[in-house]
Amino acid sequence: MSAVTAGELRDQPVPDSAPRVPEPSRTSRRIGNGLLALIGLMFALPMLWLLAASLDSSASWSVELPHFTLANFQAATASDKLHSLWNSFVLSGVATIVSTVASALAAYALSRRRIPWKGPMLLIVLFLSGVPMSILIVPVYQLFATQNWLSMIPTAIFLGVTAMPFEIWLIKNFMDAIPYDLEEAARIERANTWQILTRVVGPLALPGIGAGAIYAFVNAWGSFVVPLVLISDPNQQPGPIAIFGFIGAANVRYGDIAAFSLLYSVPVFILYALMSRLFTGGFTLGGAIKG
Amino acid sequence: MAIADAGGAPAALLPPGGRREVPTGRRLDRERFQWGSLGLLAPALVLLVILFLIPVGYAFYLGFTNLQLVGPTALHYHFTGTDNLRRLGSDNVFPKSVELTALFVGGSVIGTVAIGLALAMLMRSANGLMRIVVGGVVIISWMMPAVTAGMTWYASSTAGGTFATLVGSGQSDFLHSHPLLIVTLANTWSQCGFAMLVLAAALRNIPGEVMEAATLENASAWQRFRMVTLPLLRPTIVTMVLLVTLLTLANFALIYIMTQGGPGNATDILPVYSYQQAFSFNNLAYGALIGDVMVVIATILGFAYVRASRTRI
Repeated sequence: MSAVTAGELRDQPVPDSAPRVPEPSRTSRRIGNGLLALIGLMFALPMLWLLAASLDSSASWSVELPHFTLANFQAATASDKLHSLWNSFVLSGVATIVSTVASALAAYALSRRRIPWKGPMLLIVLFLSGVPMSILIVPVYQLFATQNWLSMIPTAIFLGVTAMPFEIWLIKNFMDAIPYDLEEAARIERANTWQILTRVVGPLALPGIGAGAIYAFVNAWGSFVVPLVLISDPNQQPGPIAIFGFIGAANVRYGDIAAFSLLYSVPVFILYALMSRLFTGGFTLGGAIKG
Repeated sequence: MAIADAGGAPAALLPPGGRREVPTGRRLDRERFQWGSLGLLAPALVLLVILFLIPVGYAFYLGFTNLQLVGPTALHYHFTGTDNLRRLGSDNVFPKSVELTALFVGGSVIGTVAIGLALAMLMRSANGLMRIVVGGVVIISWMMPAVTAGMTWYASSTAGGTFATLVGSGQSDFLHSHPLLIVTLANTWSQCGFAMLVLAAALRNIPGEVMEAATLENASAWQRFRMVTLPLLRPTIVTMVLLVTLLTLANFALIYIMTQGGPGNATDILPVYSYQQAFSFNNLAYGALIGDVMVVIATILGFAYVRASRTRI
């Protein structure tokens, strides 16, 4: 009897007031938080240089206490740099919308409908998501040049397409996990396909669609080689290429590069903060099909 | 019902055609083809065929020609049969490059999925501030454009950088002494955020009832992880392994900015080697052939994935 320690007693579920989802104890919570802080610190370590150099008037590759200045940020927000930032928004926005809408519709059809040659089709999509972008550049450049497409919007659509195989696969996996019962119930209530998509499957697959959309946005936001080759007008070039404006013939302006890089990370972080509600919000499948 | 559905979730990942049993929660009657399905597929189909499938096919063909970046065969190139393949067979750098690629990809995948899963699990019981700060840092490292991430890691690992300063020997150049390790770490660092997002979303899909049942059976935290969480996450983890493999295989910019394949050929993974052949040595066709090899490897891995997701444990 006395072998039962207080700790074990505390860990025993009490039948009457048993929590619905097991709550971790305070100690394990502390250990978890500590571990998390440690991992976070490791991830933050390489960013130290970025922070220090962006505020340093004589920045170099070395990490050191900065000679404090805000001039780097002034250089990074000059009007031509802001314009390249705007180009990045247009490029990534169009790419995200095109690829996410097309991918979500296709993923729904592939998840729910009977489609001839569905197996081979999915294998081709899988195969495409493994194709390295570098081998696409030459043929796509030839296509764009003959069609007079060497500008921002066609490039944005192409960037969207490069994210699609991945997105289709990702969203389809999420939709597969949504029980068919919900959809059937909606169909009995005479909901049409559009209503089922926007009111039933869409909201339930939102974390998957959100993850897909973020992937498409980041894929376009960070792209470097594709816009460099496919956009002929320098005024339409996005941020990553503007960074090269800081690398002069005589000297590299490390501080300006660091400051602009930091600025360039802000929008994606805001996007994530907005979308994080999708991942942590009240999304439970269990309750939806009870009773 | 919810528990049965969660158990059926791995089956839902099966590619159709190979399905041997009808998972619960799916309709039992045979569905008929609806013309509306074509409308749903059309946008994706048209875009993928024109801007992806046809260019890939053409790039495949280019690997068997004598196309060069500059010179007489830049415009008037023609099919040369197996010439490039024979050249690949006698290329000393190529097998070395394949080996480096395997190490780079293997290390990145294990690191990314393990750390991503750890983060996703720890996030659930973390306090609000910690979740925002750590989540933010991890997501920023993922969303950072490859150009920036490359420069950041170069600065951190080169002589006088953060790592050297931290270890206390200011002038040691880790990027030069352990190039493959550093670029693998950099790649893992830049992909964990995505793994965390997807695995966290998958964790949310595990119904609370399953955990509750396991707790009532007196399962320890480790048992709950081994017997409940891991099997239910299995399809997502298998998918993540494939996706991270493919993303790493295609991750050219990061490694190119950090090392350009060097020092020597120490980080000359296939995408970098392909780019060097195509654009530094002007052999567009040979570079395309190395790209073709990567496509073949990716396809084999894809088939392995389909097989892996078919077997259930």
